[in-house]
Order: sequence, then structure tokens, then C-alpha cells
Amino acid sequence: MPRRLWQISASLAISAALITTVLPGLAGAATPRAAGAPACPVNALQKVSSPVQITMWHQFPRANEQAIQKLTDQFNSSQNKVHVTLVNQTTYQDLFNKYVAGLSTGDLPDVAQIEDEGLQQMIDTRSVLPVQSCIKADHYTELSDFLDRAVRYYTVKGVLWAMPFNVSAPVLYYNKKAFTKAGLDPNQPPQTLDQIKADSQKLKASGAVTQAGFGLKDDPWYFQQWLAKTNNTFVNNGNGRNGRATQVTLNNATGQASFAWMADMVKGGLAVTNDYLNPSSALNNLLGVGNGNLGMTIDSSADLGTILQVLQSGQYPNVDLGVGTLPSPPGSGGFRVGGAALYISAKSSPQKQAAAWQYLKFLNSAASQAQFAVDTGYIPNRKSAVTVPALQTRWAQVPGFRVAYDELLNGAGNAASAGPVFGDYLGVRQAIVDAEGPMFTGTTSPKAALAAAISKANSVLAAYNSRVGG
Amino acid sequence: MTVTAGASGSPGAAKARRRRREAGLGFLLIAPALVIFSVFVFFPFAKNFELALYRNPPFPGLPSKFVGLQQIGDVLGSSDFRHSLWVTVLFALLTVPAGILLGLLLAQLANQRLRGMAIYRTIFASTVATSVAVASVIFGTLMNPQVGLLPWLGIHPTPAILDNPTWALPAVALATIWQTLGLSFILMSAGLQAVPEDVLEAAQVDGASAPMRFWRVTIPLLSPTIFFTAVVGSIFAFQTFGQIDLLTRGGPQNKTNVLTYFIVTELHDHQNPGTAAVLSIALFLITLALTLLQLRFLERRVHYAR
Amino acid sequence: MTDTALLLERPVPAAQEPAPARHRTWRLLGRYALLSVLAFIVLFPIYITIVNSLLPAPQIAAQPPKFFPSQPIWSTYQKAWVGGHFGRYLLNSAVVTTIIVVGQLLTAILAGYAFAFLRFPLKRFLFVAFLATLMIPFEVTVVQNLTTVVDLGIYNTYAGLAVPFLATGFGAFLMRQAFLGVPRDLEDAAALDGFGRWRFLWRVAVPLSRPAIAALGVFAFLTAWNQYLWPLLVTKDEHLRTVQIGLRQLRNTSLDQVNVTFAGVIIAVIPLAILLLVFQKQLIRGLTAGAVKG
Repeated sequence: MPRRLWQISASLAISAALITTVLPGLAGAATPRAAGAPACPVNALQKVSSPVQITMWHQFPRANEQAIQKLTDQFNSSQNKVHVTLVNQTTYQDLFNKYVAGLSTGDLPDVAQIEDEGLQQMIDTRSVLPVQSCIKADHYTELSDFLDRAVRYYTVKGVLWAMPFNVSAPVLYYNKKAFTKAGLDPNQPPQTLDQIKADSQKLKASGAVTQAGFGLKDDPWYFQQWLAKTNNTFVNNGNGRNGRATQVTLNNATGQASFAWMADMVKGGLAVTNDYLNPSSALNNLLGVGNGNLGMTIDSSADLGTILQVLQSGQYPNVDLGVGTLPSPPGSGGFRVGGAALYISAKSSPQKQAAAWQYLKFLNSAASQAQFAVDTGYIPNRKSAVTVPALQTRWAQVPGFRVAYDELLNGAGNAASAGPVFGDYLGVRQAIVDAEGPMFTGTTSPKAALAAAISKANSVLAAYNSRVGG
Repeated sequence: MTVTAGASGSPGAAKARRRRREAGLGFLLIAPALVIFSVFVFFPFAKNFELALYRNPPFPGLPSKFVGLQQIGDVLGSSDFRHSLWVTVLFALLTVPAGILLGLLLAQLANQRLRGMAIYRTIFASTVATSVAVASVIFGTLMNPQVGLLPWLGIHPTPAILDNPTWALPAVALATIWQTLGLSFILMSAGLQAVPEDVLEAAQVDGASAPMRFWRVTIPLLSPTIFFTAVVGSIFAFQTFGQIDLLTRGGPQNKTNVLTYFIVTELHDHQNPGTAAVLSIALFLITLALTLLQLRFLERRVHYAR
Repeated sequence: MTDTALLLERPVPAAQEPAPARHRTWRLLGRYALLSVLAFIVLFPIYITIVNSLLPAPQIAAQPPKFFPSQPIWSTYQKAWVGGHFGRYLLNSAVVTTIIVVGQLLTAILAGYAFAFLRFPLKRFLFVAFLATLMIPFEVTVVQNLTTVVDLGIYNTYAGLAVPFLATGFGAFLMRQAFLGVPRDLEDAAALDGFGRWRFLWRVAVPLSRPAIAALGVFAFLTAWNQYLWPLLVTKDEHLRTVQIGLRQLRNTSLDQVNVTFAGVIIAVIPLAILLLVFQKQLIRGLTAGAVKG
């Protein structure tokens, strides 16, 4: 039997080789398209008699999906030239995978919601009509009313590639009752990493929490914020905005201090940690604060809406939730935006592109942004949205909703707080999280972990750049 | 063998004609499956041989660069690949034998003439109705450090189980064993029930004790089933993807980064079809080699009763 | 193979060592206790999932854990039904799964018959080529297959969802093993009766191999039902999507809705559980077909 199998597997291999040579090659590289932004056909809708049908791919889960559907319905019924259909692609990553597959199959949406760090890769797909073109063609002047930080994030070499839409930032969530029990001032949440440590010690020593003072979700996003706050970029070449990023820029005081602090917290039993990549533990720290195991954690401001819903159910009598500004090493810099932006496809017809632009303008009007912020808890990315009564009422009721918005207004607007642009972003995130792991278990020093993170991340950047011919 | 010798007709020509017709029918019957395989398995797999020779761009429309065997050498020589292969082997070792043993244990216990046994059988077989996705949601919750059970039992390692470099792989293995237990139970029950009663009775008459009957009679007669389960189980274990994707995403520190997951991340997270192609070919050859090894060494010990 | 099937209904008798009646009672109780403990362990994960699906979300993380929902919240199932679009997605899954099961059975029966009964050139090579398909994970070929499906013009159709799975190496292998168990003399007798090969296949071989066919059908059902990646990639709009995508949409979860995710899990499992109850016996019989003959 085995001998027979050997013979056959050998012939299998031969036939596979044959098939490869006989079948048409895949390598045939198409001629690269000319660089330079294409024009945006904003006037293509003028002669339209029936509504232009366009599709947007998004990833909003339940409550947020209803909020985007509500806005879209309002848009569809507000005019008769454009009709938008939403398709839920379940997660940012599945959506991006499907988008990349669509580059081959031709099944692309007219508008795609891509998470913040997908920017460089979206540019490299050469399938995006930069909204800058539409802004220019349409003489759109409202950009000055946008959150500066949000516009800067999606601007590379002076071109705004996508319309920021759902904007978020990390904030500190903490349990005021646990703070009181530990003898801490419940209205003075920690503002620096050192204060987190001090408060965690008190929380644990007093028995106000059962597991640890702090839940550290190991997400490089926070680390990027600490760098930005201290005016450090995350990658070189002006955070990837003057030219393609080729190296991470982590070997500085903030990088070292951040790694040392994280290792210290975890090894000292003051923090529990979990990998943000792991979908099964994404909510662990918030749950921990809820059931009294933890005193505080850092997570996205976008979670606040659902957290409040849970708290209002009355099931957590021992929790009085506080929301504080993201603690950070002290510095004059600012935080960068998170969340996602909307990209217009360059492969769509002129009419559809014009339709997409109309839709994006609607979604980013002050009224829409205020409504979306009230419905979801995302940060409104228009300054004038803040004057809309509904949002003012909401913020008066729950001041925590305002914290993330203020975070993005404060601090210097520079390349560091604009945030990094690089590819491949999942590879770099993974490199950093992988390098941090051993320092949490004490296998390596924070210094060695940082060095490993830098070298692995740099090789990821180099590999990606070499494949896009950068 | 199937052509009956006694058939009439002019010996040479008629026989040849019948042979041709038989061959024609043979091809006709396998044609539907062969067409599907050619289009959706062989053809896309064969493309890997070409992709492996190029440094491929992340997105279509950018040029590929011919690099010959360099990429193959780079990938197969990398510590990432060796590590991933080791994790895959470890995962198979954690899941396949344990799955067979537990299935056998349950099958042996359920193979008694007791009232209500049908209920127990249904329960033991029940996990067949779950899927990898379902088992992952369930065990992701059961092993969650903040959700009820484990902290209540006083089990809370730091880092938490699924984030723990030591425990993550065994934890995913446990979820896998549970999910495949129903199948293993069904396979072993089927095998056990095919063990002839008279042989066991004869052994009993000869004075063999119950454990002796189990080891000396049942196990040898069951060996074809165990063999089949081991071979097919290993092939599937080497293709584990879903539970890794849903429970650990290959982490922490790549401790659960099995080959198929590695391939998929190269393909989907990093848009690198070249390295994914090299890894796919390697996975195929390794699985093939493993199967051949099993055929060679395990099958010798298999006792074919009939 | 037929005797295997017959034996199934007769469990091996428990050893009957002579023992006093009292001992026997204790032993019996002991056996039930052991069986019950094991049954509890196997069922516990599913039980706790049902409990969690009925608890208010915050109670899922309560200390000590809740093992029984004192005030079950049935509305989670309604929320899961809506949030996971199960009305539409269950129908799609049923259609696609049915096409796949029927297709796999047909291709497997035909190929299995050819490999078991017929002589043709390259037979061994082709058989191992069929087996080799088992060793290539679908994830590896998915991107190219997507392009193929688009080229074939069946993107975003039920056909696109089903066609790549209409044949499996496992199915052909299993049916070949089952047909090898059909006694040779039956074929000779059929030939004498003037049966053609075609009639022999459908009138004799297939009826005798029903257990294997049932088992293959159940397996095809399980794998088709549980697909996620392919249905997501190959559908353009939401009306063609399947159950596992709905489940994923529920999993992409927020804190207040954990219980809804569990309700979705249970909804996705129910059709399989029913199938299992109906086909359990055939499943056990059929699998031996693959196992016993080497």
C-alpha cells in the first residue's frame, strides 16, 4: 500500500507541475495606473431622472447598525437622486478582506467603511477616489468645521483620502465606588501612568477590588496615544505622512517608559492583561470592572453607550461608572483619532461617485453627526454638532460622553497627534503585541521586548513596502 | 476481477470491447467529482506552485517579481514556520489520541445492556450537532476569566487561560476534543458493536477477566476503527483553523499559531499570496507524508478480522 | 458489512459474573452513576449556554455563577432572531445545504461505484488524487476559487455557494469502502438476471449501502451548515447569506448583548440537533463502513 501511494503521489506532483505550466499564468502584471488624484465628477447627478443606486459596506453591530440605517433612511427620503443600500460585512477585517477580494472579482461597494489604520493599504489598492477631489470640485468649504485631528488623520501629503465618520478615542473607565472604598477621591481619576500604578496599589491593598486595580487590554492603539501625547511619532517620515513609513520610531523615553510600566503593572499583580486581538476576551476588562474584580481599565469611548445601558439595568449595584481622560505620560502633544472613515471607490461610475459624495456630505453634516453621536456614543466630528440641542442634552445628562471629544481638541496638532500611516497595519500590531507577551510573564525584560518589537515591526514594514514597490 | 469469466462471445475482440466500455463507464462515473476537484481543488492548488516563485504584491494591479526558489527557502527556513509546524504537531498530539481514548471510553460504557441506555448514547453523541464556531463561543465563555465559572472555582491563572502562553493551546485542544467527542463516540460505538459476541463469549468461557477480554479481544478487533479514526483525525487536526481564529487568533506569542491559521493570516491579514502558497504546499506535503507514515507503521498493528 | 449492521442492534451483553443480588444492585447503581456523571460533563457546556442565553446580560459574569435562570428572559431569542437575520439566513442555509448534500451523495455514489467495481486506466492514481483533496484545506484555495466562481458567472447565486462543495474526497472514499462490502456473488447474480451495471448500482448496491449514504449525508449537512468564510465572500448582498454569518454578526458583540449571542448559538444548533436525533442510528451504521474494511 505505501509503495503504491508513493508512486501515485509522485505522479500527482508531476501532474500538478504540468497543470501549472499548461494553464495560463497569473503573473501577467497589469500596467500600473498613473499616479495623481483623479477628478471627482460632482456634477454627474444633474441629469439623473431616477435615483442612482449605491451601496455602502459597513461593520456596525446591532444598535449602531440601527443608527446608521436611520441616518441612511433620512438621506434616502430627503432627496430623489440617490438611494443608498447598506450591507453589513460583520467586522472591519472581514470587510477589508472582502474588499481586497473585490479588487479581483469586481464586486466592490461604492462606499466602504475602513478602520483608521487601513489608510495606507487603501491608498495602495489604487481603488480609492480621494474625497479631496470632491471637496475641490464641489467647492466644499465645511472642512474647517471638522475636528482638526480627524481631518489630519486621513490626510497624506496634503490629500484627504477618506471622509472621517465614526470617530472614537480611548478613555479611562473606572468604578467610583471602588475608589471611595479604597480611600481615593472618586472625582480625581489617575491622569498619568504613575498615578494608575499608585491608585491600583491602593485599590488592591484596601480590598476594594478582588483581582487587580487595572485591566490592561494590550492594544497598540493606547501605546500610540502615549507616544503622540509626548510628541513622538509612531513611524518615521513624519508618521508616514511625508513619505512611506519605513521604520517604527519607538526607541525613545516614552517607548521605554511605556513598556517598563506595562511590565511592572502586570508582573507586580497590579494589572491583569489580555490580548486585544483575541476576540474571546475583548470585553474582559469591562466585565471585570462591572463585577468588582477590577477597579479601572482603558477602552474605546465608543463602548460607553452600551456600558450605560447595562448599568441602567440595575444589575451592578456596586458600580458607579466614572469616565476619565486617557492617562498618559505627561506631555504637550495631543491624542489621535480612532474609529473608521468612509472611502469612495474609484471603480464606480461617475454618477455613483457623485451620489456617494452627496451621501458622505449628508452623513457629516452637523445635524447627522450630532444624531449619530447621541445614538451611538461616537465622537461628533463636527465642531458645530456640539451646539445641537439633542447632543447638549445628552452630554449634560452623561458628561462622560464629552471626555473623548475634549481629548481630541486638546494638545498640539502636529504629525505625532495626526497619527501614523503605514502598512501592513495588522502585521505591525501583531509584532508589538507578540513582543510584549514575554515581558508580562517575566521571560524577557521590557528593554529586550521593546527591541524585539522594533525589529519585528521594521521587518514587517520592509516586507510590505518591498511588495508594493515602495 | 468484476468481469465474469463465463461470459460468451468471441474471446479476444468482445473482451476488449467490454473492457473499453467498462473503462468508459468508469471515467463517466468519476467525471462529475473529477470536474469539481479539478476546478476547485487541483487548479487553485496548482497555482500555488507558481505563486511560490514570485514576490507578490498585496493588491492586484501591482507588478509581481520573480524570485525563484528564494521565497520558498526564506519561508521554510524561517523560525516562524518551524514554530508553527511544531505547534500543529503538538495540537494534533493533544487532540487526536485523547479524542480516540475518550470516545472509546464512552462507547465501551454505553455498550451495556441497561435500561435507558439510548438516552446516554444520544447525550454522548450530542456534540456532533455543534460546530467549531459554536464550540468556540461556548468554551470562550467557559474559560473567560471574568465570566462566572472559573474564578468561582478558584482557577484564575495570570494571564488568563486563553491569553496564557502555557495554557492557551491545551485550552483550544480541550474545546476541540469536546466538539469532536460526539463523532469519536459514534465511530467507536460503531466499531464496538461490530465486535462479534461469540468471540467475547468464548474468551469468557476460557476464563478471561473483563479487562483481559477488553485488551485482548475488543481492542484488536477494534483496531481498524481506531486506525481509520487516527488517520482521518490527524488529517483534520492538521487543518485546524476555526477554533484558533475564534478563540486565540494564533496568540499569545504565536503559541497557537497552527499552520492553517498561519496560512490564512498571510493571505488575509498581510495580503501575501506568495508566502501563503509556499506554506500551503508545505502543509499538503507534510499531511501526505504523515498519512503515509501512519499507513506504514500503524496499519501493521491493525488486526483485520475478516 | 451487512452483518455489521445487524450486530449493531445487539449490544454485547454485560459480563455476568455470579454475584449476590445486593452486590448486583450496587454495581448497577454504580454504572448509572458513572454514566450520569459523564453525561453531565458532556452536556454541561451546552446546558450553561442555554442558561446564559436566558440570563440578563450582567448576570452572566455574576459571582457566584448562576446555574439556573430564575427569571428567564425569552426575548433574547427574539432579539437574536432579528439581529442575526435568522429568518432569511436559515432558509438560505437550508437551500444551499440541501443542494450540497444531494450533490455530494450523487458524486460520491457514482465515483465510489467506479472505484469499487470497475476497471479503468489510472484508477489507482485517480483514487489517490481523490484522497489528496482531503489534505488541502479549503482556506488555502479560497481566493482563487472566488475568481473562478466570478468567471463562471455564478457569483452571488445559490450555485456559487454550493458548486465547489458538490464533491469531496471523503465522500468518494466512504462510498468506495461501503461498496467494497457488497458481496461479489450478488453482482454475479445480478448479471445473470440481466441487470445492467446501472440497475445493479441503484437496485442492489445503493440499497445495501444505505447506512453509509445516510452517514455521508449527515456529514455533508454538518459541514455545509457550518460554513462561514465562503458564504461571506461569495455573496454580494445580504439576502443570500447563511446562518453562520448571522451568528458572526451576533458575535461582533457589545457588552449588553452577550446573552443574545448565546441565544443565536442555540438557534444555529437546533436544526442540527433535530437532524442528529433522526439520523443517529444510520450514522453509527454508516461509519463502520469506512472503518472496518481496510
